[in-house]
Amino acid sequence: MPERTAFRRASIVLFTLLMTVLSQAFAEERTTMDPRLVTPGKLTVGTGDPVYPPWMLNNDPAAGEGFENGLVYELASEMGFDATDVVWIGQTFDQAIAPGSKPYDFAIQQISVTEARKEIVSFSQVYFQPEKAVIALPGSPVEDATSYADLRNARWGATLGTTDNDYLVNILGITEASIYNEQVDVFQAMRAGQIDGTLTSLPTALFVTAVQVPEASIVALLPPDENDLGHGLLFEYNNPLVGWVDNALTAIIDRGVVEDLKAQYLIADPDLPIITQ
Amino acid sequence: MTNSRLPEQGSAGGANRRPPPPPPGRSFDWREAMAPSLISIVSIVVVFGALAWLITSAEQWPRIKLQFFSVDAMVAAFPRVLQGFWINMRIWLIVLACILVLGIALAVIRSLRAPWFAPFRLMVILYIDLFRGLPVLLLVLLFGFGIPALNLPGMPSSSLFWGSVAMVLSYSAYVCEIYRSGIDAVHEGQWAAAKSLGLTEWQTMIYAILPQAVRNVLPAMMNIVVALQKDVALLSIIGVRDAVREAQIYTASTFNYSSLIVAAGLFLLATIPMARLADYITHRDRVRRLQIGG
Repeated sequence: MPERTAFRRASIVLFTLLMTVLSQAFAEERTTMDPRLVTPGKLTVGTGDPVYPPWMLNNDPAAGEGFENGLVYELASEMGFDATDVVWIGQTFDQAIAPGSKPYDFAIQQISVTEARKEIVSFSQVYFQPEKAVIALPGSPVEDATSYADLRNARWGATLGTTDNDYLVNILGITEASIYNEQVDVFQAMRAGQIDGTLTSLPTALFVTAVQVPEASIVALLPPDENDLGHGLLFEYNNPLVGWVDNALTAIIDRGVVEDLKAQYLIADPDLPIITQ
Repeated sequence: MTNSRLPEQGSAGGANRRPPPPPPGRSFDWREAMAPSLISIVSIVVVFGALAWLITSAEQWPRIKLQFFSVDAMVAAFPRVLQGFWINMRIWLIVLACILVLGIALAVIRSLRAPWFAPFRLMVILYIDLFRGLPVLLLVLLFGFGIPALNLPGMPSSSLFWGSVAMVLSYSAYVCEIYRSGIDAVHEGQWAAAKSLGLTEWQTMIYAILPQAVRNVLPAMMNIVVALQKDVALLSIIGVRDAVREAQIYTASTFNYSSLIVAAGLFLLATIPMARLADYITHRDRVRRLQIGG
């Protein structure tokens, strides 16, 4: 029967075609040409605009100097990308958490992983758990604080979008802190005498007190909040790339790369007082 | 046409002479009366149903629903947002009272005609040019952060206080111009009449012109009142924990935007009655002007 052979031949051709396409697609997964990337061949990374040291130095993510962009370039090379294939996209915090599809594969912006946030976006594993630091100007009542109760008597400020306010509420029991759009506003309010102190992650505090607001100083360290799991990479909800990126992240954490970056960029003065209760 | 109509009119006239017949079957009338509302209801259901179907059939809808319309998140955010909204309401009322008083004072100064008022008139014009020409947002930032940083002795450093001052200064420039348009709209003859009665310029303004001017501008003023109610949210940028800021704090902490919907609902709850009140005042004003119904 010529018809049947023709049909059989056609189906064999179709089947092989399908298999090649499928196997190619699977073969390309977890390579730099992975079709699930925003732009196959490139690793597109979202971050803040502007970016701040010590997370990224000189407001230039592409230079690779800083804790977070250093981490991204290590991660990219682990995943097989050249440094030139890493594309940076600047965004605000609100854009990072907005619903819908995201224009990048993942974002790195000192974003804390919490259970509530996991319902909206997906996270990689945690790569860094910062301590919290109390910053104040000379003469502030928090300067001599030795307990949470002392801290509670002061007027507090914090930046919107950070977990600093959650820390104030959950750990210190301070519910009426003033919340500002930008960190610079927090320090302006501090200079204006509207707040006595603020709370940031320790690396940020080190930079702020060294460079941005030299008259302010870190007056105490506070223990981490267990609800704040630490910083993670942020993905669009259920992004299929999470597994691949997570494996690469595990690999570079195991190699000690993250510890090296911490040592290079995020070192604290060991003599700072710590308030734990 | 006329021929066929005339007998009808004649018969209608005849009906009038007889005692009025009992109202015919009311059920028929009801159906007639119901028809338009029925059509409205059906068309509303169809149009909004189609819209709802369109929105909810979108691929991203379940995610949007979770992120914007999560009942759990709304319940969790509600107490703090309501607390913030109470702050909005208090700021609004206090600032509004100050604006209405300052605005009218400025308008009166600007409208007085005696020559020795000239420097004060000039001052008011400068004031209006300055504060109406600057974005409120900018004023709030400059006053909320700038002035307290000067550490002036004896001055409060509260951002709430200075932010409110910025709102008062900005809005009273607008309100002054609204009052002035109301004053200008009072007929010139009223000034002449008051003068002929022996009233001084000041008395003319207070007893003859202002009462009419205020009535003239009431509808326009309602607009400002509603706008101010929403603009109070600008104070959130200097750290005041109003409803918008409380909602943002919840959003930032959980990445869930449902708290913003809660704040939006509270604002609507307050502004929609205001809008109806404004409609009513406008309507009453129209009735008065056109002397509808005596």
